Amino acid sequence: MLPNAIITYLHQAAKEARTEMPENNTSLFEAGLLDSFSLVEFVTLLENEFGIRVSDAELRPETFETMAKIEDYLTKSRVVV
Amino acid sequence: MSCYLTASGAFLPERIVTNAELAPLLGVTPEWIEMNSGIRERRRVAAHQSASDLATEAVKNALMNSTLKAEELDYLIGGTLSPDFQIPGIAPLVQRKLSGCRMIPALDIRAGCASILYSLQLAQGLIASKVAKNICCFGTETQSKGLDLNPRSAEISMLFGDGAGAIIVSDQPKDEMSWRLDDLLIASDGNFAEDLCLRAPGTANGARWVDSNSQIFPQMNGRTVILHAVRKLTEAAQTILMRNQLTLDEVDLIIPHQANLNLLRTLGKKLAIDESRIFTNVDRYGNTSGASAFIAFSEAQAQLQPKAKILLLAFGAGFTWGAALLTN
Repeated sequence: MLPNAIITYLHQAAKEARTEMPENNTSLFEAGLLDSFSLVEFVTLLENEFGIRVSDAELRPETFETMAKIEDYLTKSRVVV
Repeated sequence: MSCYLTASGAFLPERIVTNAELAPLLGVTPEWIEMNSGIRERRRVAAHQSASDLATEAVKNALMNSTLKAEELDYLIGGTLSPDFQIPGIAPLVQRKLSGCRMIPALDIRAGCASILYSLQLAQGLIASKVAKNICCFGTETQSKGLDLNPRSAEISMLFGDGAGAIIVSDQPKDEMSWRLDDLLIASDGNFAEDLCLRAPGTANGARWVDSNSQIFPQMNGRTVILHAVRKLTEAAQTILMRNQLTLDEVDLIIPHQANLNLLRTLGKKLAIDESRIFTNVDRYGNTSGASAFIAFSEAQAQLQPKAKILLLAFGAGFTWGAALLTN
């Protein structure tokens, strides 16, 4: 389960994109919730909210492509247990 | 030992290519280009012009803004991603075209859009070791000759423009608008080499430098580039300021590589500074790659006063990046 801060951000992004929340494995880029620049904002939110630093190697759009991948990443980072 | 940026100059080709002209080739609208890049127009060379032609004019303009003649230069350091030839480098060609220039060392560096910072560090070292007193660093690009003007490459081909800029680096200040190089940091991370690259001609393409499968057009994973550019530029700015016991409030103007206006705005937000403190000309010239920070530095002189502090920031293919802190 994604933390509330992430869900809130994605709900707002969906609202701004005038679309529904996508399925777990749907690309957030294709769904219009993230783009090149909002991705920077999203990563900043993750880092600030959970006190983590996304490593350089993981700082790629693929890491945050879908809600399932975000959850995997946060689980691996021990933010989601 | 300090060195000083004593003069600068730029040269832009005459021909202006607007979004309205470019958009149909890329299968997008002019508004889409401006919304996604902040670029309204860019310059383009004529068929007979090469990167060394633009560089030579920029160097001449820098010399005109200095007290030096071409004869007094001790070293040429050139950066480009769009050279005249694969071999030789571009710097010897500029040496040849620059009337009066002696048979001085002429060296190419390939640090992408961060060429300005890499060349300044080399110049600083050459001056400190007394190899040279007056060095001309330049960046020049004619990327328009190698773009894929096709909808599949819209995101990258909308960005680039042609142009050149040059800076004279000397062992002594020449006037109150000479910039002392206070500090400089550069870095690279080759793990992202393929995220922004032009593969051919090159020896990693199979049996030949260019084969049937080679990519002869630039390729960019834009989202990865933007993520890393914002992170590295932010961290470079913070690191260089911290180690000089300065805050961003004490910097008069930030002069970044002109990659994309949206990227510069995102950088401004990350650094928590007003957009007005970031110099931009990307709307008029597009992204001129290795030339952009040189051109920006040269144009920014008009809005700077004596006793100012500036921060140069650049990020490019490699990835390479860094920051330079200067005071006049």
